[in-house]
Amino acid sequence: MAETPWIILGNAIRFVAVLVLIYLVLPTFVIVPLSFSSESFLSFPPPGWSLRWYEQLIAHQDYGIALANSLKIGLPAAALATVLGTMAALGLARGNMPGRTLMTIIVIAPLILPPIVLAIGLFPIMVRLGIIGTYPAILFGHIVVSMPLVFITVAAALKSYSPTFELAAMTLGANQWRSFWHVTFPMIRLGVMVGFIFAFTFSFDEIILALFLTNSATRTLPRLLWEQLNLYMTPLVAAATVVILCITMLMLFIAASISRRSDAKQADGSS
Amino acid sequence: MAAIDTAQRAQTLVRPWTPARGYALLLLAPAAVLAIFFIWPLVQVVIRSFVEPEIGLGNYARIFATTTYLRVIANTMTLAATVALVTLVLAYPVAWMVSGARGNTLYFCLALILIPFWTSVVIRTFAWMVLFQRRGVLNSFLVSSGLIEQPLRLMHNSVGVHIGMVHILLPFMILPLLSSMRSIDPTIMRAASVLGANPLRQFVHVYLPLTMPGVSAGVLLVFISALGFFITPALLGGPQNMTIAVLIEQQTSRLLDWPMASALASLLLAATALLYLLYDRISRHLGAAGVLGG
Repeated sequence: MAETPWIILGNAIRFVAVLVLIYLVLPTFVIVPLSFSSESFLSFPPPGWSLRWYEQLIAHQDYGIALANSLKIGLPAAALATVLGTMAALGLARGNMPGRTLMTIIVIAPLILPPIVLAIGLFPIMVRLGIIGTYPAILFGHIVVSMPLVFITVAAALKSYSPTFELAAMTLGANQWRSFWHVTFPMIRLGVMVGFIFAFTFSFDEIILALFLTNSATRTLPRLLWEQLNLYMTPLVAAATVVILCITMLMLFIAASISRRSDAKQADGSS
Repeated sequence: MAAIDTAQRAQTLVRPWTPARGYALLLLAPAAVLAIFFIWPLVQVVIRSFVEPEIGLGNYARIFATTTYLRVIANTMTLAATVALVTLVLAYPVAWMVSGARGNTLYFCLALILIPFWTSVVIRTFAWMVLFQRRGVLNSFLVSSGLIEQPLRLMHNSVGVHIGMVHILLPFMILPLLSSMRSIDPTIMRAASVLGANPLRQFVHVYLPLTMPGVSAGVLLVFISALGFFITPALLGGPQNMTIAVLIEQQTSRLLDWPMASALASLLLAATALLYLLYDRISRHLGAAGVLGG
């Protein structure tokens, strides 16, 4: 058989691909067993098992405050980013004005730009406004950088159906708001929800803007982890990491089930 | 009612009303937020680099006259280029395998790619610190299994930075590649095969050219992200692995030299903006799914 070498080659490439996937996923999960260690140093496998680091984590005030800060910043930032990102997506997908391409580039740019550049730009402005270190400072930073995620998901949802539905509603006498609320929104609702979750996850994990714009009272969980990592590494940090990891994965799981539902819905609609 | 109708009809006569104009008004709020908290800060950074401490090109002259700064810039470029190439080589087989998967295997593979994609860089770098420490997981495994006698130095050098950054940026390469591979019409490959091309020729003359938009989008995306990397080089690298982002942070936090930080940031901004425009050109061919994998 002349084809056998090619099949072997194909399987060899698949083998490499599986190794790369292992390299991609495994290292992060090494942290999980370490967080259950009974000792105060990070060795693998842990010499014994215990929940003492999780108990310390709950007792440790800094972590509780940082988690609360992350939520206090992440939830409103994601909500506002969702509203603004959806408006931008609607405006750019359905509107018809000059400069649409440029505007699209600018809306997505915060996702691409190295955050350190924006951080040193925002810092002096927040100082001058007198809000450096407060919640609004980091809130606006996070709104700007997470808006592109909402924009991309909602724009994709808008592309999946024809604008004639809205025109039909308007021809039948609905004004723009009613046509949005009764026609457009139900169709893009799932995209908007996924966008919200992405925006929240992004804010929840963001570190560079948090380093510049928060202070020791408003610092978020990633910033606290960063500060701890620069000083010492104990299973306490590992335990905190596992908690963050669980929250991120939960968010992704919700986003995935929502988009699966929207895929199914679309399949129903097209049949 | 009648009055409103007449008024509306009158308006229609003057200028045909389209819903498009109403939608355009929606852009006002996001545009305002972006102008104040995105464009304005960036403009400030660029202005500060030219007018402080005195008006002129002083900061830039200093950058190009200081060997340390030039070395950091060269370092960052080489690091970003190496990371982009290694990522491409590793991501291509993965994307190829996943593009052929169906059903639950596909969802499982996508989860394996998307979970790291959405996990914080701090956490993923911390994982490498745990693995790479002198008495870390990898060293204790290698020593206890007798493969090496002395623990290897894996951290605070370029080995650690490269491995960590490739690991973190892999999804950014896999996703655009995957979206270009999934859009290839399988009948084209079948045609090449029927016409007698062997798999190698099919790959070189048909498959690879068709995935080029994904390749260039992925390489640019990874290169841009790597240029601005901060956390991983700061935690896993040594002083000789300093990147532009780490240098900028040091200028602001330790040396309090904001004009110099602004000049460095402006260079980074210019490089990023150019590459982003190039990326935008390419990803237009790919569709919006390129960045997030749908």
